[in-house]
Amino acid sequence: MLMCRELAGIASDYIDGELSTGRRLSVQMHLMMCRHCRSFIGNLRASTELLRGHSSARVEPAVIDRINHRVTEALSHRPETPDPDPDPDPDKDR
Amino acid sequence: MTVNAHPNLDESRLVEALKRGEQAAFTEAVSTYTAGMLAVARYYVDPANAEEIVQDCWVTVIDAVRRFEGRSGLKTWLHRIVANRCKNLLRTSHREITTDFTERLEPELESRFKTSGRWATPPKLRFDESADVLLENGALSDCLDKHLGHLPENQRSALILYEAHQHKSDDVCNILDVSASNLRVMLHRARQKIFLMVETFQETGEC
Repeated sequence: MLMCRELAGIASDYIDGELSTGRRLSVQMHLMMCRHCRSFIGNLRASTELLRGHSSARVEPAVIDRINHRVTEALSHRPETPDPDPDPDPDKDR
Repeated sequence: MTVNAHPNLDESRLVEALKRGEQAAFTEAVSTYTAGMLAVARYYVDPANAEEIVQDCWVTVIDAVRRFEGRSGLKTWLHRIVANRCKNLLRTSHREITTDFTERLEPELESRFKTSGRWATPPKLRFDESADVLLENGALSDCLDKHLGHLPENQRSALILYEAHQHKSDDVCNILDVSASNLRVMLHRARQKIFLMVETFQETGEC
């Protein structure tokens, strides 16, 4: 029988659909009987969704300005043909 | 993040403009993608060095984007460039990233259970209203900013890439160089902290 503490430990896996079928069923069984855990799961899910709508990855305008400045400068020295050296290619070590 | 009805179409137009070296395209790309790139860099290096690395990456991108083939999305490609640059730096400086992945529960939450494993201090309020309603409270939004800033860098990066930038788990694992199980722990620990923060805020109005 799944206890509340154990459920709290795997709550994110449940929310994200990352549990095995057996595990998921035991969470669902527990949730049917335990209103505290229903509250917890609901609140954890709401907390997670807050981040989706939030500008959690906000960057200071000054940082963007500094990058734009460097990019503008570098663009003015950009060669007409690509550098034959393919590095860095982040796809190559996939 | 820009939300639009045809993100792939817009992205391919952006990529073509970047390949042509159009200034406006770079301005748009920098404003759209820098936040995620900084989150990646801050996972690997000190915040002070993260900005410089992201700047260097953008300069690299000016040339490298001409070889971008679209096998991954532009966002994932940019995030990998940052991750690869950071990993190369770490290899030369031997800086190691240490994290405790053994505990799935935050101590503050752990202390709310009895030894039997049942709740001793269960959640008092339900706050699963829509996120939009909660965020209309500007004070809560500020509080969220503050707490995100206080998360350990690895948890913060994982949370931002997974939630705010909506990367798939596989991509986050690849970019941050963590196993799937460790990513699960980082996300869960970070979410618990946000949950505890919202709970305190709802109960007391304090951040």
